[in-house]
Amino acid sequence: MSLSWYEASARQRVAALLDAGSFEEFVGPEQRAMSPHLPLFDLPRAFDDGIVVGRGRLDGRAVYLAAQEGRFMGGAFGEVHGAKLVGLLRAALTETPDAVLILFDTGGVRLQEANAGETAIAETMRAIADLRRAGIPVVGLVGGRAGCFGGGGLIAGTCSRLAVSEGGRISVSGPEVIETNKGAEEFDSKDRALVWRTMGGKHRRLTGGADVFCDDTVAAFRAAALDLVGRAPAFDLATLEAEQARLEARIARFGDCRDATAIWARLGVNDPAGVPALSAADFDGLVAGLEGTTHDAR
Amino acid sequence: MTDWRKQRTARDERIAAGRAHASGKVVRHEAVVELLEAVLRPGDRVCLEGDNQKQADCLARGLGACDPGKVHDLHMVQSGIVLPEHLDVFETGIARRLDYSYSGPQGARIAKMLYGGQIELGAVHTYLELFARYFIDLTPNVALIAGVSADRAGNLYTGPNTEDTPTVVEATAFKNGVVIAQVNQIVDTVPRVDIPGDRIDFVVEADKPFYVEPLFTRDPAAVTETQILMAMMAIKGIYAEYGIRRLNHGIGFGTAAIELLLPTFAEKLGLKGKIATNWALNPHPTLIPAIESGFVEQVHCFGSEVGMDRYIAARPDIFFTGADGSLRSNRAFCQTAGLYACDLFIGSTLQIDLQGHSSTVTTNRVAGFGGAPNMGSDPHGRRHPSDTWMKAGREAGGTGDPALRRGRKLVVQLVETFGDGLVPAFVEHLDALELAKKIGLELAPVMVYADDVTHIVTEEGIANLLLCRDADEREQAIRGVAGYTEVGRGRDRAKVEALRARGIVRRPEDLGIEPLDADRSLLAARSIKDLVHWSGGLYEPPARFRNW
Repeated sequence: MSLSWYEASARQRVAALLDAGSFEEFVGPEQRAMSPHLPLFDLPRAFDDGIVVGRGRLDGRAVYLAAQEGRFMGGAFGEVHGAKLVGLLRAALTETPDAVLILFDTGGVRLQEANAGETAIAETMRAIADLRRAGIPVVGLVGGRAGCFGGGGLIAGTCSRLAVSEGGRISVSGPEVIETNKGAEEFDSKDRALVWRTMGGKHRRLTGGADVFCDDTVAAFRAAALDLVGRAPAFDLATLEAEQARLEARIARFGDCRDATAIWARLGVNDPAGVPALSAADFDGLVAGLEGTTHDAR
Repeated sequence: MTDWRKQRTARDERIAAGRAHASGKVVRHEAVVELLEAVLRPGDRVCLEGDNQKQADCLARGLGACDPGKVHDLHMVQSGIVLPEHLDVFETGIARRLDYSYSGPQGARIAKMLYGGQIELGAVHTYLELFARYFIDLTPNVALIAGVSADRAGNLYTGPNTEDTPTVVEATAFKNGVVIAQVNQIVDTVPRVDIPGDRIDFVVEADKPFYVEPLFTRDPAAVTETQILMAMMAIKGIYAEYGIRRLNHGIGFGTAAIELLLPTFAEKLGLKGKIATNWALNPHPTLIPAIESGFVEQVHCFGSEVGMDRYIAARPDIFFTGADGSLRSNRAFCQTAGLYACDLFIGSTLQIDLQGHSSTVTTNRVAGFGGAPNMGSDPHGRRHPSDTWMKAGREAGGTGDPALRRGRKLVVQLVETFGDGLVPAFVEHLDALELAKKIGLELAPVMVYADDVTHIVTEEGIANLLLCRDADEREQAIRGVAGYTEVGRGRDRAKVEALRARGIVRRPEDLGIEPLDADRSLLAARSIKDLVHWSGGLYEPPARFRNW
């Protein structure tokens, strides 16, 4: 049975994603780089602060890689967690690997060390922009239990390409946050089908937020990563202007839709209600027949 | 001359008064309040159908809107206190006295209202106990029940969630009571007649379909490795050793883990056909893989479960279904089946004390009992042997002539040493005792009494209480599986090792189980979507359980 990405830990994902035995970890758990803040709140710490960073090979290509552990504090960004990611990206700029992979699994910034976490988000986005300008593709993979929320959602928006599975969710404000601020009538966070068709992988793929929708297996994510590394768009003014135009067109076209299914219908999907039940292969077939879902604006 | 027909006369008067608001038997939902004010009399005993799952919510809202000047001091006799409306009537004076079984979501408010004296409590019952009293001393004057559809003659289709309805109607209709049913729809012909029309006096077409709670769905994605380890121990150390074929599972992730390990772990142990074949169980979605793998022979249900209708209808060899193809459940019959015809009950609890008494009560919640104490007790009225029952009886030993020794039902508590929020499950004294003192209950709300419990399974091992010969052994056996809780750390190491040598305490390694093997990859389904796949697309999970 193929290893489920959703079920796997960050370390299992890294080990199975890269060429066997090729991973070399930076600031590994043996160095005990742990949060200096969590003990103030009587909270347990992790030896790796919930993120694994290092380098390895992907089908022979040199890659730098970071993997968040969604099972530790929801993969949230704290000071050490963020510093490990930023450090990796900055090292990649000088070491120039063939690509950088970010395995997102995060609820966003860790509230107990929010300032450090927010700073890390900003520094990460800056570092990704530097890498992309240097011609190094940065590919995000989203399929973990914690999804990719808050600052993680912002970072995902700066990546060269994104792959997402059905279980993966990408957004900035999480379902509970929206419900708390706007009420259950606006967004019922307990209606999981609603949550997934609004933030889930299929919707993100259909609206052009993600570039590949893949099965929930490590093998499928590996294939997606290889595919996306090979077709990263250029990072220049033309790309950014194209992205701006794409987003403006999207809000103009779908801004009045009250539900994702209305967006899908307007995209030309014949049976919007049937989309959530489609297998990855059938869904790929559907996407291939729609215009505007695949693009180089980033 | 004695008037032997006072109740019958009163019933005729009530019905005549109600007819003014009806067309034949049919009442518009806008007229519910008038109907209830016409039929009800102060001090009436009323069963407002509030079951484990199905709620007569339209009638509950109507009752709450009645004028307390006309309708007051009712004595509510219903199994479930589930909706806020069920308690609102005690605040307005419409109701005064209460006899019930289960109050899960309203547990905290009931405790507060009992403490504040707003509710005069009769007793907190088990389901069978309350149903029994409907026929002896708590017979309703008026029953307010719920069904899926009815025809104009009152023939009622309860749908898959039959639950308490037949019992409530039996007690009310045949003892001069008035039965009012809310239905989602009035139809020309009902799919099947669950309750004959001559037992139904009024039918209200509800403003919206009655509410059903998906109480029995556990998402496999949330099953932990600790629960998997405990499930492995239960299967290998109890199901296999006693050859448990007839059983009931309580609700919880621990029992869901067992269900999901049947097609994998238990199959590898060669247990298919030897364990877990005949069930008293609601249609748990997590049982689908075991059914599809051929483990399960038949299942009788207390109620139904949201989303399982099409699957059940497609598996009539497994489930009890009507001529229309849909599930027929019945809480009273299934509770009886669980009590007398099952050899094992396994369920979780919140607190266990040093002798093995257990309770789901905390100091500020009266959750009630539901059916667990019926299933989780040794029925002294049982007279048919089974290998399982006899083996447990032999283990329990006892004095006197062995030829006169009877069997024992296995009652297993499946509990992690620390529960939610790292609250220890093992305690010196149950919170139930504190609560009973605080609100003046004559009987402390104990879910399963120590003399009924035969085994306790935790992640630390299995304690076989049948084999304990005195109170000290029993206490050390319980401490022996209580892990790092205060109770566990208070154990006598030498005594626990001696119990282990006698097989009274068994660690995972004593059972040949490697804790590191307790991995989620052992689960036959790891998500709700996997369950949908197992069911061939027949299971339709409610939106709140979907992540697609």
